[in-house]
Amino acid sequence: MKKLCQICLSVLLMGLAAGVASAQSFRVQCPPSTTLHSGKSTDQGAIKCQQISGGDGFSTMADGTQTYMFSFGPLSGLADIQAGLPGTEPVSIFNSVVDPNGAVGITPDPNANNTITGHVDPRKIMDIGVMNGNIPAPMMAIDEDDEFFLTLSNVGMIMRPDLFEQHTVHFHGYPNASSYYDGVPDASVAINIGGSFTYYYLAPDAGTYFWHCHITPPEHLQMGMVGQLYVRPRQDRIPGNEPLYGPLLAQELPTADPRKRCGTDILCSAPLPPSNSAIHANNKSGTPTLYAYNDGDGSTAYDVEYPIQIHGFDPSFHFVGMTFNPEQFTDMKDKYFLLNGRSYPDTVTPGALSTQVTDGTSHYSQPLATIINIPAGGKALLRISDLDVTEFQTLASLGIPMHVIGQNARLLRDMAGTNMDFYSNSITLGGGESLDVILDASDITKYSAGQTFYLFTPNLDHLSNDAENFGGLMTEVHICTTVDPSTKACQ
Amino acid sequence: MSQMNTKKPNSIARLLPVVMVALGMLFTATAHATTPGITGTSFSINAEANFISQPDGSMIYSWGYGCLTPPAASSFVPAPLSPTVAGAACPTMQIPGPTLIVREGTTVSVTLTNNLPTAAGNTSILFPGFTVTPSNGVPGLLTQEAIHGGTVTYTFVANKPGTHAYYSGTQGDLQVEMGLYGAIVVIPTAVPANVAGTTCRAVATNLPDGQTDYRLAASAYDHAGTCYDREYLFQFSEIDPNIHSQAEAIAKCVAATGITCPGNMNTVVTENYHPAYFLINGRSMPDDMDTNYAAQYPHQPYNGNPHMHPGENVLVRVIGQGRWQHPFHEHGNHVRILGRDGNLILSSSTTNPTALAGPLLYTTTTTPGLAMDGIFYWTGKGLNWDVYGHGFPGDTSVCVPDANGYYTSVPTAPNYYEWCQDHNKALETAPFGTVAGGGPATLPDPNILTNGPWYGGSPYLGPDATVRATGPTGTTPPSGTIANPPTSEAGFAFMWHSHNEREITTNNIFPGGMMMMMLVDPQAFVIDESN
Repeated sequence: MKKLCQICLSVLLMGLAAGVASAQSFRVQCPPSTTLHSGKSTDQGAIKCQQISGGDGFSTMADGTQTYMFSFGPLSGLADIQAGLPGTEPVSIFNSVVDPNGAVGITPDPNANNTITGHVDPRKIMDIGVMNGNIPAPMMAIDEDDEFFLTLSNVGMIMRPDLFEQHTVHFHGYPNASSYYDGVPDASVAINIGGSFTYYYLAPDAGTYFWHCHITPPEHLQMGMVGQLYVRPRQDRIPGNEPLYGPLLAQELPTADPRKRCGTDILCSAPLPPSNSAIHANNKSGTPTLYAYNDGDGSTAYDVEYPIQIHGFDPSFHFVGMTFNPEQFTDMKDKYFLLNGRSYPDTVTPGALSTQVTDGTSHYSQPLATIINIPAGGKALLRISDLDVTEFQTLASLGIPMHVIGQNARLLRDMAGTNMDFYSNSITLGGGESLDVILDASDITKYSAGQTFYLFTPNLDHLSNDAENFGGLMTEVHICTTVDPSTKACQ
Repeated sequence: MSQMNTKKPNSIARLLPVVMVALGMLFTATAHATTPGITGTSFSINAEANFISQPDGSMIYSWGYGCLTPPAASSFVPAPLSPTVAGAACPTMQIPGPTLIVREGTTVSVTLTNNLPTAAGNTSILFPGFTVTPSNGVPGLLTQEAIHGGTVTYTFVANKPGTHAYYSGTQGDLQVEMGLYGAIVVIPTAVPANVAGTTCRAVATNLPDGQTDYRLAASAYDHAGTCYDREYLFQFSEIDPNIHSQAEAIAKCVAATGITCPGNMNTVVTENYHPAYFLINGRSMPDDMDTNYAAQYPHQPYNGNPHMHPGENVLVRVIGQGRWQHPFHEHGNHVRILGRDGNLILSSSTTNPTALAGPLLYTTTTTPGLAMDGIFYWTGKGLNWDVYGHGFPGDTSVCVPDANGYYTSVPTAPNYYEWCQDHNKALETAPFGTVAGGGPATLPDPNILTNGPWYGGSPYLGPDATVRATGPTGTTPPSGTIANPPTSEAGFAFMWHSHNEREITTNNIFPGGMMMMMLVDPQAFVIDESN
C-alpha cells in the first residue's frame, strides 16, 4: 500500500527510453581543491569524500534469521568500514585506484588524458554494490570546516525488480540545510537506478547527527536504510596543553569568522562558558584528548568514542517487503531490537558479521559490534541515535552513571553559558533523536579493570530476539587496563 | 502499458495516494497558515458530535467543541483575516476546538454546554496550569461537569503567557480520543522594551519588508528574547477508528424488541489502542496543507502549512493532544525551546538570569497534554554557496553584513537576510545557466533524477535564480512542479513530520498522517496567510 512516485516514475522512464542517450551513469565527485581548500597551509579542515550504494541485502538476526533489507552499502573505505570505522576518506585515498579504502570503480578517464576525474567503471560498482547492504549503513565522520562530498550510486534492488526504487540521503539535523541536498524526494530530486548523485555540504557545527534514506520513510527506514554521521569539533585541533577557553572567546570577536560567532543568535550552538583555565590535556592513551563539542571548558572530553544506533526490525514487514505483497503500516511491530544492527549476544561478537545472500555469496552485513571498552579511570563517549520507526526506546546503564552532555547534536548549555548537563542511569529517545552520553568510569575506587557492566533496555519486552526471550537491546561495558584508541580493543 | 496494469494485484490501491495528493495540491497553491482563533474574555463552547473527513475518503464519527453563540466578527484574530472567513465564528463542532486567544491578566470564563449524545453522559473541560473556579454543573472526578443538555462555567485568570492545552476532564480515555481538545494562547502584556540588544516589534499592519503582519503578539512571553515574526500552532493526536465506531454505534442505538441500548459509553473498549490516523490540527497530510477554514473540512478548520522568509523568527507552538508521544522532526534547522505549558525556561546563571535556557532540538517530541513554544528560523548560513546564484557577469547585487553577518539594511531587497559570507560564492563548477561558476559541485544530468512536486526546479532560492540557472522554460524535466512553481515561487521546501515514520501514513497508505511541507520562500514571494 504505497507509494507516491512509482507510477510517475514508470511514466518518466518510458518517456526517457526513447530519446535520451546522454544520461549520466555512475560517477563520483571528490575535487582535489576548492576555493575553501586550495591547499594552503592555513586551510582549516579538508576535503572529505565518501561513496555509498543504495540497494538491498541481507542481515543476520541474533536468533539466526536471515533478514531481507533495503539498504546502503559501502563504496569507499571498504577496509575501514569492515574494521568498524567510518568510510569517509581524504581526497588522496578516495581518488586512489589502488588503496583498499579508495572509491570503488574509480578509474582514469579516457576522455580526459587518463586523469582521475570522478569517472568510474560501473562494472566494479555493480560487482561490489549489488546485494551488499549494511545495517547500520556506512558510517560517516567529518570535522568542522571540512567540505564533504557524498556520492550515492543506486545499484537497484535485485530482490525487488518491480520497485525500480529511487534512494536519497537525508542529513538528519543539519542546521540551515539546503533543500536541494536535504534528501527529501518531495522537495528535491531522487536518484534513479543506474545513477549517481553527489551531496555537498560544508560541515555544520559539531555534534551527533545521523542519516537515512527519505524515500517512503516508513518503509525504507524500517527496511534498514539508516546510518550514523557525526561532526568532530574544532576544539580537537587546539594543540596539546593549550587553553580551551581562549579560542572560543576569540570566535566572538567582531573580526572573527562570523560563521562560528554566537552574537545574538538564538540558535547558537556553542555559547561561551564562564572564564576558565582548562587546557587540552592528554587522554588515557597519552595523546591529546578529544571532545564531543566546542565546550571551551573541557566538559565534553572523552578517551574513546562509540557510535551507537538504536533501531528495530519487524520480521513480518521485512518478509512482506521481500515478497511483492502490500505492506501494512498500522500493524508494524518490531520484534528485533538493534544496537548498531545487532541484538544481544551478537552485539558483543567482535568484528564484522557476514550473511549469505540469495546468490550464495557471503557479504559483510553488520560491521559494527557494540562492545564498550573503557580504560580504567577513563570516559567513553556514546553517540546514541535512534531511527526506530515505531516506538520510543529506553537505554539504561547498570552501574556506571550516564553523563548526558548533548542532545540533538547540540551541547547542553543555556544561552548564558551555564552547562545543563545531567547525570542519569537511563535515557529515552524516539525515532529521529540523538543524545551524547559519557559513561564516566573515572572513579577508580568504584571501577577497575576486569569489571563488566551492561547497557540494556528497561523496556523489558525489548530484551528478546523475536521468539527467543533473552537478547534484544543489550550490550556489555568492559573496564580495561588500557584501550587501543584506534581498534578500541581491551588490553 | 499492459505490463503496468497487470504487474501488481494492488495497482489501484497504489494509485490512490497519487490521486489523493494531486487533488490535495489543487488547493495548496496559496494556502498558508498562521494561528487563527477567537479572542475575548467570555466564551460559550458547545460539545457535540459530527463527522470529520480523512484523506482516504473515510468520514469518522467524532466529538468536538464549537461555539454555542457565534462570537462577534471583531473577535476573530489575527486582524488581517477578520472578518471575512466563513467558519471563523466556529458555527459547528470542530477538531481541534476553537483556539481561545486571551490577554495575560484577564479573567476568562468559558461556559460549556453538553450537547453530546445522551449516552456520552457528562462532559467537562480542564485548563491545566490555571487556577480554575467552576460554577454550575455537577461534581465530577476532576472538576465540575455539565450533564447532557446542561452547562458548566469555568473561570480563571490567564496569568501565564504562552501556549496551553485544554481538553475534556471526563472519561478522558474516550472523550479526548473522540476529539474534545483545543488550545489557549495567552498573549503577554509586559514585553520588556529591550533585552540583549533586541526589541520586540509591536504588531502592525505590515512587517518591515512591507508584507502583511499576521502575528497575534509581538512576543511569546514577557521576554524580549521571545519576540517573533510569524507563528504556527500544531496540535498532534491520533484516531483509533475502532473506538469511534463503537461510540457511534452506542450513540445511534435505537431500542427495539430484543435490543437494549447501553445507557453509557463504558462498554467502549479503549485499550489495545491501535490508531490508524495520525493527525496534525485534526487533519492528515495532504489535507493539512489546504487552507484554514477550507470548505471541504467544515469540522477541521485549522491547517498545517508553514511558510516563512529567510531570517524570520518563527514561533512554533506545539501541543500533544493524543495518547502517544510523537517525535516531531523539523527539517531545516534546530528549534530553540522557549517554554513548556506557559513556563518560560530561563538560566540558573546568577550573572545573566534572563538568558534563555530551553534546549536546541531538531526533533521536538510531543507529549500528551504538553504544550511547547519554540523559535525556528532558516537563513542558509554556512552552506558555503550563494543560494541566490549571485556572482555572474553583470550581477549588481550587494550584501552588506550586519553584526550577525546578514544583509538586513534594506528590508525590501530580494536578498534581504542573505548570509553575506557566502555572497557570490558559486555552487557549480561549470554551470549551465547564468550563475557564478568555479564552485565545488558538478550537478548531475537531470535525466537520471526524479523530481518531487515541491522541488523548486534548481538548487537555488527564488524564481530569478532558478530561471537564470535552468532557462526560461523553468526547470529540469519533467518541468511543472505542482506545489512550488519554479517561475513564481521556487522556495526551499522542508518536510516537518513525525519521525516515528509509520505515523506519516493514513490508514496504511503512504504518504499521509503527521506530515507537512514547510516552505522557505524567497523574499520577493508574498506570503499570504489570509486564505
